[in-house]
Amino acid sequence: MFKITPEELKERAYRIRKNLIDLMYQARSGHLDTSLSLVEVWLALVYSDFFQFDPKNGAWDERDRIFLSEGHACPLQYFVNADLGYYSFEDVYAGFRRPNTPFQGHTKRSLPHGLENSNGSLGIGLWQAYGHALATERFVFCIAGDGEFEEPVSQGLMSAPFYLRPAPNFILILNYNKLAQDAEVRIGPIAEIAKLYNWQVMQVDGHDFSALNYAYQEAVEECNKPSLIVCDTIKGKGGDPANEGRLGFHGRPPHTEEEYQAYIKGLEATRRN
Amino acid sequence: MLDAGTSNSTYSKKFKDVFPDRFYTAGINEPGMVGLATGLAMAGQRVAACDMSVFLHHAYAHIRAAARQGNDVHILLAASHTGITVGPDGSSAHDITDLARMRLIPDFTIITPWDGRQVRRAVEAIFEEQGLYYIRLNRPKLPIFLLDPAPFEIGRAYRLCEGERVTIIAVGDKVYNALEACDELGEGFADVIGISTLEPLDSDTIIASAARTGRVITIEDHMYAGGLYESVAGVLAMHKPTPMRKLSLDRVFTTSGEPDELTEMFGLGTAALVKECREFVLERMRDEG
Repeated sequence: MFKITPEELKERAYRIRKNLIDLMYQARSGHLDTSLSLVEVWLALVYSDFFQFDPKNGAWDERDRIFLSEGHACPLQYFVNADLGYYSFEDVYAGFRRPNTPFQGHTKRSLPHGLENSNGSLGIGLWQAYGHALATERFVFCIAGDGEFEEPVSQGLMSAPFYLRPAPNFILILNYNKLAQDAEVRIGPIAEIAKLYNWQVMQVDGHDFSALNYAYQEAVEECNKPSLIVCDTIKGKGGDPANEGRLGFHGRPPHTEEEYQAYIKGLEATRRN
Repeated sequence: MLDAGTSNSTYSKKFKDVFPDRFYTAGINEPGMVGLATGLAMAGQRVAACDMSVFLHHAYAHIRAAARQGNDVHILLAASHTGITVGPDGSSAHDITDLARMRLIPDFTIITPWDGRQVRRAVEAIFEEQGLYYIRLNRPKLPIFLLDPAPFEIGRAYRLCEGERVTIIAVGDKVYNALEACDELGEGFADVIGISTLEPLDSDTIIASAARTGRVITIEDHMYAGGLYESVAGVLAMHKPTPMRKLSLDRVFTTSGEPDELTEMFGLGTAALVKECREFVLERMRDEG
């Protein structure tokens, strides 16, 4: 199961969402809606029993790795790593999207900060992650976006276990929030195709901690195939309910006090539930 | 070592035959090959990714992404079948802009060996130090002429002939033509500088030669844009403005033909170089009265 209780998980999810909204309102920039859609996915992963890491030794050989291919979700990555003790929350606020800091607009690789790969352009990180999985015994998780899967090079990864070599320690997490930057996204038969190419495939509610934990557990116990976990998520989840699951807010956090308060109000309402 | 479906052209299959456990083919999937290579390198492996150069256009975004991972990775991108000596396959297969493309990606050291012997020395040096390397290789059997037994020095340009009338700066396999031209022009005529590392460029050696002769001519099996000519022109314009001429490909697509035939057609052979050198020197003498 998890290293912490379900209540603590929910509390951390709330805390991170609050920080995401505050951070990107302050910066007036960043991909808030994408970040909000992955909060449970990411927390469920790092707080799963099996997940190994050392915040005081980011290059620890025995760590499990998380490659972020959907790079614009990095604000979430920055806060989760702060939560895990790699650095402080204040460090993120001070450095986010500023010149020459560890907290760039899209991730800049830095193992001491728990940041496995530099990213930004889509369809790239997932291949790096698969190659990485061939060279380590530990688990390599890769978070990719559904819009990212419009790139043929992303879909091409599905054939990797078939043509190249199966990497059972590779787990691809697809953030299926059904929205890209300028249009809706449908992944079509990707799940069926993956199965045909010898992936273990699961589809879960991406905001349900237990369902996520179950899927991760199945993935790490699979010894012969890589896994694809399609996570059904809502873009902007836990923010302004009027914007949840709606097109038009990609890379567009609240700009006015009024918009900001609507996000906070929406977040507080989820806490009461 | 990785390949992208051309292992019998790049000869990476020779590595595969000896070390099958350390060889991966991405299939005809250049972006995948580079991505996999990058991920392996990020896990601490020393990696060589091989392909026929022109197909690496597909992988350009991934090559750039590799360079963005930081300086603790060790990747060698080995690009064969460069320049017009690829021959009959035609312009789709002649990669004449690879040097320019790689110069645009930070942190890649660009190695341009003159012959097979130097390739071996260069690879030994590349293996010594972590970093990102691109090595430019050819297709046909080309002359082996490297005599100097010293280890390869990354970043060093070599003065191969001493002369006073003109500087010839040559890159890669064109160094052979430069040495032939040097012989034909006569002792003391041409100062020949051989470039086996294009980036970082040994500006000091180039500037010193330009100061000696006052005339610089470059020769490359590559488009003038972004290649040797513009690299050298950039350095000299800044530090030692010197009249220059170039032998290079124009901003064109090339054509099918035999390597020697194309070399002559596109004016990249020894005879063309000798002619250009003589005309250049005569012109300057006239100008100077």
